[in-house]
Amino acid sequence: MKVVVSIKQTPSTTAVLVVDNSGKVSWDDPGGKPNVLNPWDEYTVEEGVRLKENHGATDVIALTVGSAESQEALKTCLAMGCTEAILVSDPALQGLDTLGTAKTLAAAIKKAGDVQVAIFGRQAIDGDTGQTPVQVARKLGWTPLTFVSAIKAIGGGKITVERLLDDGKETVTASLPVVINTVKEINEPRYPSLMGIRKASRAEIPVWSAADLGLADGAGSSNVDWSKVYGIPPRGGSVQMIDGDSVEAQAKTLVDKLFEEKVI
Amino acid sequence: MSGVWVFLENKDGKIATGSREAISAARTVADALGQPLTGLVLGQNVSGVADAAFDLGVDAVLGADDATLAQFRVEAAGPLVTKLAQAHNPSVILASASSRGRDLAAWVAADLEVGLVADGVDVAVDGDKVKVTRPVYAGKLLSDVFATSSTQVITLRNRAFPQAEPTGKSGSATWVETAVAEDAIPTKIVGFEGKEGTVSLTDASIIVSGGRGVGGPEGFAPVKELADTLGAALGASRAAVDAGWIPYEHQVGQTGKVVSPDLYIAAGISGAIQHQAGMRTSKVIVAINKDADAPIFKLAQYGIVGDLFKVLPALTAEFKKRL
Repeated sequence: MKVVVSIKQTPSTTAVLVVDNSGKVSWDDPGGKPNVLNPWDEYTVEEGVRLKENHGATDVIALTVGSAESQEALKTCLAMGCTEAILVSDPALQGLDTLGTAKTLAAAIKKAGDVQVAIFGRQAIDGDTGQTPVQVARKLGWTPLTFVSAIKAIGGGKITVERLLDDGKETVTASLPVVINTVKEINEPRYPSLMGIRKASRAEIPVWSAADLGLADGAGSSNVDWSKVYGIPPRGGSVQMIDGDSVEAQAKTLVDKLFEEKVI
Repeated sequence: MSGVWVFLENKDGKIATGSREAISAARTVADALGQPLTGLVLGQNVSGVADAAFDLGVDAVLGADDATLAQFRVEAAGPLVTKLAQAHNPSVILASASSRGRDLAAWVAADLEVGLVADGVDVAVDGDKVKVTRPVYAGKLLSDVFATSSTQVITLRNRAFPQAEPTGKSGSATWVETAVAEDAIPTKIVGFEGKEGTVSLTDASIIVSGGRGVGGPEGFAPVKELADTLGAALGASRAAVDAGWIPYEHQVGQTGKVVSPDLYIAAGISGAIQHQAGMRTSKVIVAINKDADAPIFKLAQYGIVGDLFKVLPALTAEFKKRL
């Protein structure tokens, strides 16, 4: 059984983001790494590696679409135990919307051959759409299983998972192949081992072009215009400090204010 | 190309809160475009849901009532909504960004090959397109986004829009056949365990959260007591979750829940940028912290510099007197 884990390199959670007048976003993380494996994808990679360790998956292929720098995130996946990594990178595939990304990933998963499970993270912490996995499933003709908090059983062409929905936990059975998107509850991601990091640093990661995926003309024009990005307007006003002779007096003053604000 | 559609998630004959919010957003869009608003009602024994939809102000209801739709499965609902959209060409399809709404929106947009905009917190009509404002980079930035396709699929974040109010209107729904027979649906739901009795963070109008300052699992007791007194949801910062003091489901922030309550009380939370990303759209923020220089005070309307183990019980006692 082959498994694909689809990942993305994103700004770190501590990165400070700056938008220029043209809406271009740049970031830096003084004292940290500005670019990291998308935090939600750590769970994806861990679950893929566990399918190898516990359920007989033969290949766990880390896959991403992005620039050459995304190799770093793929190396983190290799260090965590993925058996292979593939970078899809091509100028023809820049500025993709969710659907274009989904078509590209679907084509890459097909090319990887005989994949039974493709695993995604909940969302990428930059674009934040969280909608790619279902669209990849549609383009592959596979069943999407979203918000998966546990793989209960896998084998014999079937999979049973637990899904964490807004109003409860659903247990659902489906036929393979499937596209899964994971939530944080699914596992506790491991740290890459030193040996894994050393091995990954030497890895030659194959790069697939749009033409390799039969997408020489791109993945279709984008149906989404998201050119306007800007900082969040600061919250108005400044803090009003509640003082008083005793905590009881402070509590009373604050509660009065909150009733005045009509938020209670 | 006409009509605004809104997906109405329903359970036990009731329209979900998020969908009631979606109706009010969809009403604004439909009125600005000068197009009728149609509610999509899928389920089993849902004629009452269709009536409720008319009462909440939709102009028409397009529905399907069938055992295959009794519990929402995107493999049943997706093909049906796609088929209906291909037949009627709506200009906009809106849904709440709930777990089910997200799945449906992604499915339909993929099959129609149209643009999808997720997690809108504001909508405005610009010409014949809907401008959707949505957070990006985990709430650190905002973006104005347009789906440029003939049909625009949009999901809306919880609590970003008011709930539609009853209008007293009624109407007659149009019922259609399902698109997929049970045998052809690849998923079977074999169990469901509902969450009862707890207030979910994303639906809560009040949230009381604790952070590193609570000092340990037992330190959450006064936080929880205040939350219970206010009927509020219990939140936490990542520091408290990572320390193992409280389960992850309570985490507010960039890698937790993004919330937008009327009142957010942060106790012993310094206010790291990742936490701010998850709660800065709260209407009123109250910060309680020992450190007067904590960044959370830059975000708050009201602040108390003090020991949360003294301030929280005093607040609980005061609220108990007044509520």
